[in-house]
Amino acid sequence: MYSLQKLLWDVRKYPDLARRFRAEPDAVLDEYGIAGEERAAMAALDLKTLYDRGANPYLLYFCALEIGVDRGEYYARLRGEIS
Amino acid sequence: MGQDMGQIVGVFATSHSPGITGFPERAEPAQRAAVEEAFAEVRRRIERLAPDTVIAVSVEHFTNFFLGNLPAFAIATADSYLGPATPEMGGFLRIEQHDYPGDPALGRHLYRFALESEFDPALVEGGMVFDENFCVPLKHLDPESRLPLVPVIVNGVNPPWPTPKRCLDFGRMIRAAVEAQSEASRVVVLATGGLSHWVGMRESGTINEAFDRDFLDRLGSGDSTRLTDYTGEQIDAAGNGAHEIRTWLVAAGAAGAPFETLVYEPVPAWLTGAAVAAARI
Repeated sequence: MYSLQKLLWDVRKYPDLARRFRAEPDAVLDEYGIAGEERAAMAALDLKTLYDRGANPYLLYFCALEIGVDRGEYYARLRGEIS
Repeated sequence: MGQDMGQIVGVFATSHSPGITGFPERAEPAQRAAVEEAFAEVRRRIERLAPDTVIAVSVEHFTNFFLGNLPAFAIATADSYLGPATPEMGGFLRIEQHDYPGDPALGRHLYRFALESEFDPALVEGGMVFDENFCVPLKHLDPESRLPLVPVIVNGVNPPWPTPKRCLDFGRMIRAAVEAQSEASRVVVLATGGLSHWVGMRESGTINEAFDRDFLDRLGSGDSTRLTDYTGEQIDAAGNGAHEIRTWLVAAGAAGAPFETLVYEPVPAWLTGAAVAAARI
């Protein structure tokens, strides 16, 4: 979970990383060594799974905004209304 | 204590919801007016108190710290602080990016005094930037950014948390530190955060008014046992953002006095139970 949360944090800090994640998520996930269920969830923007696995809500929300998920969509994804 | 020693002349606590400056017009007009009047009242009181320095206690929302190194408490001693952290954040908060002055001498004293008092805060000599934690309330309380600041950060964003009692005791230590030096003779303590709100959680937009009013009642009682009688789970019932009341507990410890609530408004459009309070000192 640390690697995933590091990615969430870095995406907010570095706009270039946010752009790159949108364009080539697999390359970024490789760089951060994110594997397994967290990798699949992050690639699919399955925020509900990441949240339920314990991602910090601040980090998850701030990252989502940076990668083009707006506030309404964020909460819809969190509630499993979009997947 | 000699007459030349510093003293805490005022202690205030406020919410720092981005909506207060970023989208105030979304609130009910009467609620917005009540909250803004309470901020104006605190601004007038601070002007009358004419402090040399403000010890500003808040959380920070992963703007500086991260899970790679997350202090429970931190004391900053920089000459100045940039805020809001980015131009984009400034646009969101409707606050132009600028530098806030620091009080490095009092900051260094507070850090040393904390260690000698067997507290172990992190030291931040530079590089700290502000988010809504300080920028939002200070837009109302010190719009020209004239007051030198000693920022104190409490972890209110990621569990496990410092206990309520530890926060109160940290505030008591701040009071003793101020009274053990003479360079800053008049010091105001300003805490920011809370009350109930949920950030990035499914409950976002909910307000736990009962929790908020009970907290303000405890704060008004001046009973430190009641004030610190919270488990983490009890605070969870008012949202992850409610853990920011730890900053208010630091303020209560620094005040050593009950507080009067200047305003409390549950404002759904700001996603927050918005409150402003002042210690009766």
